[in-house]
Amino acid sequence: MSVPATGSLDRRRFLTYSGAALGAAALSGCAASVDDGSGGTGSKSGSTTLTVMCQKEDLDIKAAGKALGLKIRYLQPDPAKLNALLAAKTPPDVVLGSGATDAPYFAARNLMTDLDPYFAKSTVLKRSDLDPVNDLWRYDGSKQGAGPRYGMAKDYSQDQMIWYRTDLFEAAKVDLPSETEPLSYEELLDLGKRLVKRRLGKVKVYGLNVTGLGSFSSLLGMTASAGGSVFAEDLSSVDFSSPEALKALKWMLEYTKADIGPSTVNPNPDGWDWPTFQAGRMAMATDGYWFGGAIAGDPKVAEVSRLAPAPQLGSSRISPCFGATGFWIPKESKNKDAAWKFFEWFFGGEPAQGRAAGGWGVPSLKSLREKMPQDKPYQKQAFEVQEQEFAYFKPLTFTPYAQKDALDGVISKVLPGAVKSGTSAGKVADELNKQMNALIAKGKDVLG
Amino acid sequence: MSTGHLTVAAGPAVQSPAGAPATRPPRRRRSLATRRAWAFYAFAGPWVLGFLALTAYPLGYALWLSFTNSDGLSDNSRFVGLDNYKEVFSDPETLASLARTGVFTAMTVPLTIVAGLFLAVLVNQPIRGRGLIRTLLYLPAVVPPVGAAITFRMIFDRDSGAANGLLDLFNVNGLAWLADPYARWVLIVLTLWGVGNVMIISLAGLQDIPKELHEAARVDGASPWQSFTRITLPLLSPVIFFQVVTGIIASLQTFVPLLISLDPTPKGIGSVPESNSLFMIHVLDQYLLGGRYGYASALLWVLFLIIIAVTLIVFKLSKGAVFYSVEPERAKTKSRTIGGG
Repeated sequence: MSVPATGSLDRRRFLTYSGAALGAAALSGCAASVDDGSGGTGSKSGSTTLTVMCQKEDLDIKAAGKALGLKIRYLQPDPAKLNALLAAKTPPDVVLGSGATDAPYFAARNLMTDLDPYFAKSTVLKRSDLDPVNDLWRYDGSKQGAGPRYGMAKDYSQDQMIWYRTDLFEAAKVDLPSETEPLSYEELLDLGKRLVKRRLGKVKVYGLNVTGLGSFSSLLGMTASAGGSVFAEDLSSVDFSSPEALKALKWMLEYTKADIGPSTVNPNPDGWDWPTFQAGRMAMATDGYWFGGAIAGDPKVAEVSRLAPAPQLGSSRISPCFGATGFWIPKESKNKDAAWKFFEWFFGGEPAQGRAAGGWGVPSLKSLREKMPQDKPYQKQAFEVQEQEFAYFKPLTFTPYAQKDALDGVISKVLPGAVKSGTSAGKVADELNKQMNALIAKGKDVLG
Repeated sequence: MSTGHLTVAAGPAVQSPAGAPATRPPRRRRSLATRRAWAFYAFAGPWVLGFLALTAYPLGYALWLSFTNSDGLSDNSRFVGLDNYKEVFSDPETLASLARTGVFTAMTVPLTIVAGLFLAVLVNQPIRGRGLIRTLLYLPAVVPPVGAAITFRMIFDRDSGAANGLLDLFNVNGLAWLADPYARWVLIVLTLWGVGNVMIISLAGLQDIPKELHEAARVDGASPWQSFTRITLPLLSPVIFFQVVTGIIASLQTFVPLLISLDPTPKGIGSVPESNSLFMIHVLDQYLLGGRYGYASALLWVLFLIIIAVTLIVFKLSKGAVFYSVEPERAKTKSRTIGGG
């Protein structure tokens, strides 16, 4: 079909116009995303929309909007979406993340706002009141725990501390763990083996779960408690062949092979520990104090739940935190002042007090510790055990060159085959080193 | 072809004042043609814009990314030439995932087509409750893949799934269905679960075959099998061919293994059992876990080229095996004639 020459539109022109329209749209999109990054002072009450990426249960959107005089736009956490928004320079204004593992990764890529000037001016969030766990949100370009502050934890736990169900211990006729002395990992494994219940190749009651926060974090903590480190000092490689890391890896292989709890071979179908623990299908879970918030919601479970210190693989007693989950403000946020207003309300206002009183983790402000619940017997017991554990808190540094999920992914690929074939721990260590170091090297290559 | 048809049908001849027939005024013809052109572009425009924005631009962007070491976030990414493409063909994990995808495609495409055709023939018979049976067989295809995958994960969970619950009734040890070596079979069963789609297309093809042909064959003494192989299959071959082509493309791109993995989230990509670690799983691994946007884009471009190549090969191989009741060229000529052009 031909269009007459005198017609105002031909195919070529049509495509040209289409391309131009598309280009214009794309350019206007780019223009909208350009910002000086200063945050400005454009947060007028009621007219500013603050975009928050977090779990729905972390935030009462209506209360936030009312308290802050802002419109709150909620985004479901999605790593792929976050990466796309960051790449397009149109990120959310406030993002939920892990201080322990996300902070170095995003800070090294120059994607986070330095919050030191905001903390310096704030009368609500004073630096002197910050719990040391908040240092996990600091990164100086080479190590974690120093340099600018890029975020803040909403609460935290020493994540290898063990919650256990006394009713399952009693049913298995096993003595309860000590409230003051940590178990060794050998003792923990033995307890798990005694508490597990099976039937015809299926596990009906898990004896133990140490992988609730991922296998890599567990190995990191175990190695540290044995006196070693998985990461090299410059964080540009891992070494599972060191005696301490190898000891941790051997234990993890033994745990996986024993099939006494969720592992890389048989992850928890519930997705996380609470539904399994609540249903009486998990005797011990290394989830830290924070898990008490979930327990508080079920009085029957609360009655039989107790907290024990973090187990140790060696003689240097430590109790690390793998999360320090909190918020950060992307460098390209258009509403930094409003985002900081949100910070002060969320971390220092009513929500922070509610979280502290509810037992959802140790508060990230020292001044809120007195609000930690002690009304019920399990709360009092957990508080006392937690109080002793503070002395052994140790932040562990994470590499900025790879994301934790990627390193967990390598373990998920390597361990099942190794357990099935009975591969030696030394060979597994070599394979983990090879795959993880290749991943880290590629990340380092991009950062230059 | 429609141009000619509409041109003839469009305007009645205009009479000149003298009463002699005159040709249509050129201005009016142009105006009509222009209007038709505008109508065409108005209808085609949204699609063209959509194609440019959602297909052409992402393809071009991914092509550009594939020549960089971008992690999608850092400003420090740089041009690496063909390095990513060289790695594609030397990375054992990539080649293994490609091989697994080939095997998966070779198994599932014939299986689904045969199963779909079998069901279509079955529900094409004059049996009681035919409508209900057709609906029931098609229902699983209506369930979104994510819903079907969640159901399968619940059924085949080792410790709490119904499959092992059933074995339990017979005092048989439960199996770790979602782990190797059983995971690939669960994936194949899940793929067959959606066979209703293939069935419905084959059924439409079957119903398009004139009954007289089968009756004539029966009169001539042909057995049902002969009737099926000599009449049904040849006349259904364009439908089967369509299903082969679309089935291959879908199988090469499938990421369903992630949905039935033990941890069906981006961070769970590593937990996909080795036998189900198909090409797209490897791509997602590189994108979402490895943060290797450049390399993952190269992988996708290679897949794109593979799909084009495989499709061309299938078209080439189909020559002589696919029978059209109306020759495409002949149909064009016939239509032109009817249109009066």
